Order: sequence, then structure tokens, then C-alpha cells
Amino acid sequence: MEKALNPLLWLLMLVLAALSLGAGSIDSAVLTGLWDWLQQHSTTDAIIIGEIRLPRTLLALIVGAAMGLSGAALQGLLRNPLVDPGLIGVSQGAALGAACVFYFNLFAFMGVLATPFAGMLGALLTLLILLGLSGSMARPGIIIMAGLAISMLSGALLAVVLNYAPNPYALQELVFWMLGSVSLRGMDYVGVLLPFFLVGSSLLWQQRRLLFGLSLGDAVAHSMGLQVSRGGRLVILGCALLVGSAVAIAGNIGFVGLLVPHLIRPLVRHRPDRLLLPSALAGASLVCAADILIRLLPPERELKLGVLTAIVGAPFFIYLVWKERQRWV
Amino acid sequence: MGLMQITNLSVEHRLSDVSMSLKKGEMLGLIGPNGAGKSTLLAAISGLVDYQGRIEFSGEDLAFMDTTQRARSIALQPQFAQSAWALSVHDVVSMGRLPWGDSDQEIIQQAMQQAGVLELARRPVGELSGGEKARVWLARVLANQPRVLLADEPVANLDMAHQQQAMQGLQQYTRAGNTVVVAIHDLALAAQYCDRLCLLDQGQCLLTDGIEQVLTRSRLEAVFKTSLHIDLKATPPQVQAYAGTQAAIKR
Repeated sequence: MEKALNPLLWLLMLVLAALSLGAGSIDSAVLTGLWDWLQQHSTTDAIIIGEIRLPRTLLALIVGAAMGLSGAALQGLLRNPLVDPGLIGVSQGAALGAACVFYFNLFAFMGVLATPFAGMLGALLTLLILLGLSGSMARPGIIIMAGLAISMLSGALLAVVLNYAPNPYALQELVFWMLGSVSLRGMDYVGVLLPFFLVGSSLLWQQRRLLFGLSLGDAVAHSMGLQVSRGGRLVILGCALLVGSAVAIAGNIGFVGLLVPHLIRPLVRHRPDRLLLPSALAGASLVCAADILIRLLPPERELKLGVLTAIVGAPFFIYLVWKERQRWV
Repeated sequence: MGLMQITNLSVEHRLSDVSMSLKKGEMLGLIGPNGAGKSTLLAAISGLVDYQGRIEFSGEDLAFMDTTQRARSIALQPQFAQSAWALSVHDVVSMGRLPWGDSDQEIIQQAMQQAGVLELARRPVGELSGGEKARVWLARVLANQPRVLLADEPVANLDMAHQQQAMQGLQQYTRAGNTVVVAIHDLALAAQYCDRLCLLDQGQCLLTDGIEQVLTRSRLEAVFKTSLHIDLKATPPQVQAYAGTQAAIKR
């Protein structure tokens, strides 16, 4: 099962991506559309597939992979199966950064990319505060506490921004953005997201030996010659890049980072190092599937992607708490 | 010339001015009451705590040694180990190969065999009994194939038969020319298996010498503050505490 897992997940992801290109309120010929788009013909199919559905699908895949991967890495680093990337405060930081664009009209010269850019800036700032606050010997407990504190502060500041929103239209735009979505975003968004995804995921990938070694605790990992402190910081940095950029582009897509590693873990015999790739693939598949589902619902008023993942994810979290409780009773 | 030379080693509030040398192919027992500094000494040698003084391995200062090289040469089994995830025994033991960057199945199988956990290979380590777990941790350090193996209370959770088995496994490891340092509370076991003993008390090394020189009644009664019956000529050697704290009262 373990050997077949990754090929199966690749296949699932590709099938879902193909379905995603075909799904929508207008029937389009996917292959013809893609071909026309690559040839830069401006047929209707080319525009629908290449300009609308392709970036939407790619964004869903990258955002999902980023969430799944960073969830798996953070759970491994903090040795806690209930950790979610939102926990280190980076997504709230990104949300605050993006909200400031709506309010102060920052980076107006960047056009549509102002929001993701400010989101990334917010995530980066949050990360620096997090690393500063948790100190050089970053212990898991301290990172969680620091992340929680920063989350609360970002949440409070975000509330201030919402409170003083210049007009109802800006408020609405802000709220819809925070609900999370990958629709109505062009290829330039993919171009912004991709470098952050590649750098972040390669940082995490390089630390997989550390994540494995940490299973037996800091002392054992350290005595095995693993760079516990430095590696731990690189994992946090990688997660911040992944989550920060994903939230900045797509808003809050919650629970994927919690749910996916949890489902995959038994399939890789609980090894935190082997959890990374399948979590990325399954995260990509999950978000892509959720985005297809949204398009199948009545189109008058679109359900936001983040709302759907939360509606599915929150009961699952409740179930996890319930199961955890059974262990202690 | 010893394999490892420890000179004037001090750790704040824990150890002061400890000097000793480790020889190739010996088993050295660290003995002493709770809080004497046994675990701290092992932690210092494996680089887990900051220290003053100097630790040399094969003539090289450990403080400046490459961390990978160091992890290949010196492996530690800490006293309180647990796995955060439901890893299989085989996966835990294969972690011993992390410093080497390989997963040599032959070495892993051999380590599991030596520690007596071969038949448990597929079981999740969390489901095992305390004694079985202790043997799995031991197998993990054996798979590391260190020149110096540091084990902190490796037999504390084991029944008598498994204590013997584990100590024999460590002894066998020294026969191959490796050095084992073991922190141990059971003085009879220490007398049975160790080549030399180091007696620690309140962060100081009182004496490092042969079994008969270290395990004298007056010295142990003074350190452990209890009355003792010692018979090193018996097979196996006997060291037993009994009620009454004459030594403590005298002091």
C-alpha cells in the first residue's frame, strides 16, 4: 500500500485537475481549448480554459499542496497531530497585510497584485516577530504560544481595520477575500505564487531527516547530529513562505493542513518524513475537488472555497478532539 | 592512551571538575545516587549541554568536531525516551542509521537481533511493554554502530532475565573493540558486567577504578547513606542495601 500511495495520489490529482478544467457552467472542449490557448488563438474555448479554468485549477492545486505540506511539516516539527498551519499566526498576518491594502490603498501601482504582495509582506513580518519572540532555542511549546499571541494581535488589528473600513464596498470585498477563493484570478497570480511555493517546499523537503529524527525527541535528534535548532527555524520559514503566499493569493483555506496529514499518516506507517509528499499531493487533490464541488452548486451566489473546507474540516476537528478524549478517559 | 580523555569537565550546578579517561573495548559504569551527575556527564559527552573543560576523542577536541562525524562515533540512549508517533520497531531502529545517511538492512537486522527485538519488527513501538521498549531503544543505538555507546539506565525497566540479556548485549559490543559507558543504579549488575566504575556524588567524580577498588563498603555507605552488604567474590557479585542508616547517622 505504502509503495502505491504516491503514484495513486499523483493519478488522483491529475484526474481531478482534468475534471476541474472541464467543470463549469459553460461546456467547453478542454483539449481544443488548451491547444488553442497554447497557440494563442483567441477562441471562446481558449479563453475559458486557458484564461479562466487553468489558472483557477493551478491555484487550487498549489494552494492545497502548500497547506497539506506545511501542515505535515509543522505537525512533525512540533510532534503534535493537532497542529494547523494557522496556528503559527502566519495566515492571520497575511490576512492583516492584505486588509491594509483595501483600507489604505497601498501599493496601488501594482494593480491586482497589490493584495498578494501585501499579504506576503504581512506573513513575513509575522514570521520575523514569531522567530524573535520564540528565541534562539525554539521549543515547540514556545512556538505555539508565540504563534497564538501573534494570531490574537493580528486578529485584533484586523478587527480595527474592518471597523474603520472606508466604505461598505471595501468591507464586502475584504470579507469575501478572507473567506478564501481561487476563482477570478489570472495566470499572473500563479506566477507570483509559484516561486514562493517552490522555495518553501524545497526548504521543508530538505528537513525531512530532521522531522524523522525528532520523533524520538530533541535530545536523541541532537545526539544523532541533526541540527535541531537551525533545522526547526528553516521548517518554520518554509511553512511561513508556503502559508503566507497561499493565504495572500487565495485567502483563508482552513483545515486542509490539519486534515490531510492526519488522514495520510497511517498510510505511511506514521513516518513524519514520508508524510510530506503524499500530504502535498492529497492537499492539492482535496482543494481541487472542493473547488470543483463549488462550481457544481447553483451559480447565482458562489459558495467560497474556504467556507466549504471549514464546513467539512471543523466537524472533523471535533471528531479528532473526541477521539483524543477517549484516549484519556 | 585512552580512546576518550575528559579533563576538568564542569557543567553549571551539575558537575564540577570531572576528569577521567575511557579505554578502547571497555565497559565503564557510572554509579552514584540520584542527582549525582551521571546523566549530565553523558549529556555533556554527547554535546547536549554546554560545559567548561575539554573532552577529547581520539586526540580531537569534541567541541570542534564535525557534528556528523561526532554522531557516527558517539551515540546516546537517553533515560526517558518515547516516540511521538506510532512508528514501527523497524523504523525506530533504522533511525540509528541517520548519522550515516543510509538504511543498511543488514546492520539494522543485526542490531534488532542483538537487542532481542527481531520478532517485534513490525509492531508499533507505542504498543510494547516497558521492557520491550527499552530493548528497542537499545537496538537503535546499536544500529548507529558508535565507537562510544552511551546508555543512560538502559536496564531500569527490565525484568531480571532481560537485564542480563541487555547487559550481555552491551558486553558483546565492547568485545568488538567498542567502548560502552552505562549509567546504572543496580550495583550488583555493575559489578557483574562493568570493567571499571566511576563513582559520582554531588557532581564530583570521587573515583574511577576497578570494581574492587570502587565498591568498598565504607565508601558506598558514605555516598549512598544506607547500610550495605557487599560480597564481590560471590557468583554473581552481591551488593545489597538493608534498612538502617548507620552511616548517615555517623555523618
